[in-house]
Amino acid sequence: MDISVTFINGLNLAAIYGLMAIGISLLWSSVGMINMAHGATFAASGYAAWLAADATKALVLAAFGKGVLTTSVMAGITLTAGAGFGALFGAVIYLLAFLPIHDKPNFPVRSLIVTLAINLATVQGLLWYFGPKQKNLPKIFGTGKLEVLGISARYDQIGAILATTVILGLVLFWLRVSRKGLEIRAMMQNPEGAVLSGISVRWTALPVTMLTGALAGLAAILLSQTIFVSPTSGTMPLIKGLTIALLGGLGSVPGAVAGAIIIGFLEAIVGAIPFLGQRYVLFATFVFIITVLIIRPRGIGGLLDEARK
Amino acid sequence: MADILKISGLTAGYGPLRVLHEIDFRVGEGERVGLVGLNGHGKTTLFRAISSLVGWQSGSILLNGAEVGGSRSTGPGRRTPAIVRAGLAMTPQGDAIFPGLSVAQHLDCGAYTPKAWKDRKARRDMVFDIFPPLRKLEHALVGRLSGGERRMVSVGRALMVDARLYLIDEPSLGLAPKISASVIEALFALPQDGRAMVIAEQNVALLSGRVDRMVGMHAGRIRGDVGHVSLH
Repeated sequence: MDISVTFINGLNLAAIYGLMAIGISLLWSSVGMINMAHGATFAASGYAAWLAADATKALVLAAFGKGVLTTSVMAGITLTAGAGFGALFGAVIYLLAFLPIHDKPNFPVRSLIVTLAINLATVQGLLWYFGPKQKNLPKIFGTGKLEVLGISARYDQIGAILATTVILGLVLFWLRVSRKGLEIRAMMQNPEGAVLSGISVRWTALPVTMLTGALAGLAAILLSQTIFVSPTSGTMPLIKGLTIALLGGLGSVPGAVAGAIIIGFLEAIVGAIPFLGQRYVLFATFVFIITVLIIRPRGIGGLLDEARK
Repeated sequence: MADILKISGLTAGYGPLRVLHEIDFRVGEGERVGLVGLNGHGKTTLFRAISSLVGWQSGSILLNGAEVGGSRSTGPGRRTPAIVRAGLAMTPQGDAIFPGLSVAQHLDCGAYTPKAWKDRKARRDMVFDIFPPLRKLEHALVGRLSGGERRMVSVGRALMVDARLYLIDEPSLGLAPKISASVIEALFALPQDGRAMVIAEQNVALLSGRVDRMVGMHAGRIRGDVGHVSLH
């Protein structure tokens, strides 16, 4: 077993799961909605990026020829299409699953059901329109390998890890310094105090759903560098994102990051152990998460919080 | 004297429970009103009905002449931001603080109008003048403060904009006598021009002789103007 390969695989998985988990966690804590349509956002953004890349490929190739420039232009198109469509899909979820029912009793359960319905409908819609055949996104980081400190890693892995770090850093920074970020954090920490401060749930929920949608879209692009886009490709990231968000303590952003890193490495390590291998990855993950939740029902997030409630 | 708050026929409750029964209540401009009564007789529910935070309610609530009440059976809190923006500042029981924000950020949350947001620094300074202990805690997390400091933050947050009606729910609750006295002191030192303030309190001695009117609540009904009560 090569430890460095396991390390890079672990970081790569952690990056993508982290993007999904933080989206789910943010949405739950600020709006009170478990977004089961997060997987649909993931898959649909992947297809949107594929459509955009497919439509512009010939044009870009003719304009710039073969080379680094074409790769970076295609990367820009793919990422913009993925994140943009993710944000758009988030707005649709807001219109369908938040706005009409957010002030009815039992909103968390109702929105869970509505988003689950959106998820199923979208997956079936994609299957009907595009067929079950997998699509290949352009390699936005190029193909090749790089040796860093004796560790050999593929471009797409390095790209995914770096891109996620930058994106999450930007999101957390935005939450910390902007006025909207302040309102979102206030809503997360005390909804009643927030409404008494004149912060409207409705106008806080829209940017959050769009932001988390864009994060799912980015996760789709990054994961599609390793695997393909297919109608059901969002299911696994959704389940992983949900369980990691739970592990991290729903609503805790540092908890979600820590959970994603732990699960990413756990999967990479279990996958690399010869007598366990890939088929025991899910099993090991769930055993671990269930064990943690038995010991700490509120997840690991509480350990990282600086302040008491 | 213009009415800042005029409530008529307000009935409110949670689920099958009816807490307030046909309440009529008015507060004039410049008035400080003490709302007294035992635990569980509806003081907090009255405040929460005014801010549209109870389970259901019916009856008219005029804030500054604008109707903010009416019948409502779903969505506690949905109309609250609009009511707050119409001129209500409320510090709820339990303070409703944001534990993960610093004192300065917490106060900024209260500055929701564009004007208040623009000069939020000056307003923070004003709040620090009212509650001097907060000044050196400006960058401390609110979740790490003591009960008295949290109360000051909660009241300070309500002072970040120029509201017309201040509802202060049990400012002395859970605080040491000395600290609660200083919080009350700060509340009474606020200028009252064009504003009105209602303080719900169980400790009548704290308000005695210092409010314009005292109103008693019993079993979800207003029990008349008690007037000036002196325990001395």
